[in-house]
Amino acid sequence: MNSVFLIAKKEILIALRQKVIRALAIVIMVLLSVALYAGYVAYDQQKEVIENARKEKREEWLTQGDKHPHIAAHYGTFIFKPKTILSLFDFGLDTFTGTSVYLEAHYQHEFMFRPAQDHSSMIRFGELSAALVLQILVPLLLIFLAFPAFTKERESGTLKLLISQGVSCTTIVWGKIVAYLSILISILAPFFVIAFVLSTMLANSQTIPDIAIRVVLLVIIYVVYLLIFVAFSVWISMRSSTSKNSLLTLLTCWILFMIIIPKTTANFGESMYPLPSMKIYREAIQKDIKNGLDGKASTSFRQNQLKKEYLQRYTVDSIHKLPLNFEGVRMQAGEDYGNKVYDVHWARLKKIFDNQNRIASLSSFITPYLAIRNLSMGLTATDLYTSIHFQKKTEKYRRELVRKMNNDMAQNSRYGEFYEYKAGKNLWNSIKEFEYTTMSAYEIVSLYKTELISLCCWAVLIFSLLGYSSRKIRPVYE
Amino acid sequence: MLEAINLTKKYGDFTALQSLNLTINEGEIFCLLGANGAGKSTTINLFLNFIGATSGSAKINDLDVTKHARETKQLLSYIPENLMLYKNLTGLENLQFFCGLGGKHQSKGELEELLEQSGLQTDFINRRVSNYSKGMRQKVGIALARARGSKVLLLDEPTSGLDPKASNEFSELLLSMKEKGVATLMATHDLFRAKDTGTHIGIMKEGRLLEKFESQEVSFRDLEKLYLKHMHN
Repeated sequence: MNSVFLIAKKEILIALRQKVIRALAIVIMVLLSVALYAGYVAYDQQKEVIENARKEKREEWLTQGDKHPHIAAHYGTFIFKPKTILSLFDFGLDTFTGTSVYLEAHYQHEFMFRPAQDHSSMIRFGELSAALVLQILVPLLLIFLAFPAFTKERESGTLKLLISQGVSCTTIVWGKIVAYLSILISILAPFFVIAFVLSTMLANSQTIPDIAIRVVLLVIIYVVYLLIFVAFSVWISMRSSTSKNSLLTLLTCWILFMIIIPKTTANFGESMYPLPSMKIYREAIQKDIKNGLDGKASTSFRQNQLKKEYLQRYTVDSIHKLPLNFEGVRMQAGEDYGNKVYDVHWARLKKIFDNQNRIASLSSFITPYLAIRNLSMGLTATDLYTSIHFQKKTEKYRRELVRKMNNDMAQNSRYGEFYEYKAGKNLWNSIKEFEYTTMSAYEIVSLYKTELISLCCWAVLIFSLLGYSSRKIRPVYE
Repeated sequence: MLEAINLTKKYGDFTALQSLNLTINEGEIFCLLGANGAGKSTTINLFLNFIGATSGSAKINDLDVTKHARETKQLLSYIPENLMLYKNLTGLENLQFFCGLGGKHQSKGELEELLEQSGLQTDFINRRVSNYSKGMRQKVGIALARARGSKVLLLDEPTSGLDPKASNEFSELLLSMKEKGVATLMATHDLFRAKDTGTHIGIMKEGRLLEKFESQEVSFRDLEKLYLKHMHN
């Protein structure tokens, strides 16, 4: 048998005979099971609630009775963000972004990520999800498993005996890595299998079409992430003079990687690119709608311009003589201008988010935790980009809905006629029900290129260090 | 079989070993005597390639231990002062593991027999090493050397701390290996064991091999006098 596998077999046997390791493995398995079950229960409940509410609101829209289209546009409707099955694994920002939005004329209700709130949702230390266990607690298990990898061999004198058998340090390193990875895989394999079966069985292919690719990518990135921690722990153990030093160094790194750096970089991002408060954000939009984006074209000025344009176009001297209801045209023009103002302000806000996200992405070069956290949220469709994507789709839907209502009013009613004109079921039915499909896995991966590159860099760096150090290591200090 | 040619090891200004010239042939047991810091363990560590020589060379079967690290290690077995095995494994599991690493795959029965032949009590073979005494661990070390069919034994104060009975048993095992043509280099403080077991004796002080002779050339009394003379000078 290859020396690597012999060493791995020996390590596994020793680990299995250690009560602490057995206990930690059981704790991780229990935590993962609880997190997965809790995630499933939450997913199932929310899915049911959302599905019922969606049906109810759609029914309300279709059976709202005959009424003026603009009243219908204000009556509005609700749209619900469908829960994706992968969210049971990683809650991501879902908890912070909400699941429903009220759509009505003239007004973009803040919903998914409350863009102008006083704090960034990136600053968080999540709930107990399976992703959290894998991202934060499993590395801790690995630390307890691997911290004495080399120090104990050196302290007990077995390293001398090992090397005197003609085994190279590189072989010992790989034997240990294979062992810890095997232990890890045997702990996590049942969990991954259950998660995969649940994902494929319960998947809503309309919402998240490429679920199998996402699951495979998730498994790959988590294996790479945990491999980085295994190799890192072995490397620290190799470089430490005592087991105590190795454990202290690894625990310090864990605190830095998992708590201090993510918090610091999130705070740094927010102080570098601060968000406006909700009040200021809304006031600025209302001000620009009222006075015009350039401050010169007030609402009344724009309306007068529009009136002139229509009178000229139809060569009439009164809006009463227009072949359409000018009130509908005016409302749509107001809506269009409001949308334009909203887009300008939203673009500014988006830029702030992008800058904050860029800092978070680049920070993944300082801690691999940020790389896996962002990639995991992205692939489970619970990240900020998916929220923004969903918001864009709902806003597009809202604008189309309001446009149809205003156009119907303009085409089918007369000026001054408001309560007299009533649209009916045909118009309500012409508004197709909102359906949401997430971005493809490819699109998501391309958004998280930095994180992917950083994860690869971490792997290359750690294995290079391991290779370099294992060539230098001696069983006795010179 | 074992050869040191002008072997020197320096740590900065400190010379741990100065121009050691030594040859140990098949079936010879060379005992290195000397106080702590005399350079005995340094010599063994150099033959094991655990540390690099400042100058000179150490050879096993005419192979330089630095240039042919893997090949030379296949030929030797090493037993330190306190042979540490994996405490959570049994003696048999330890033996299986280390034999496997050396590429010597023997059946469980064969290894059990070797452990018994090396003097390990039968009911301890399948017990975890955490229950073993130092003497028992040294016996596992001898069993390992036998299982690997080692041509060279490097022993760093192997009987230190053993009771007389265990020490005597260990000597007998060494003599049986000598009969099989094994070349042994043993660092020890034990003059009696060196005279009793060794075929050759060398006295070291401050990194220098001051004297070497065949053990049968001197009586135990003369050896003691010679040793003390060198230590006091």
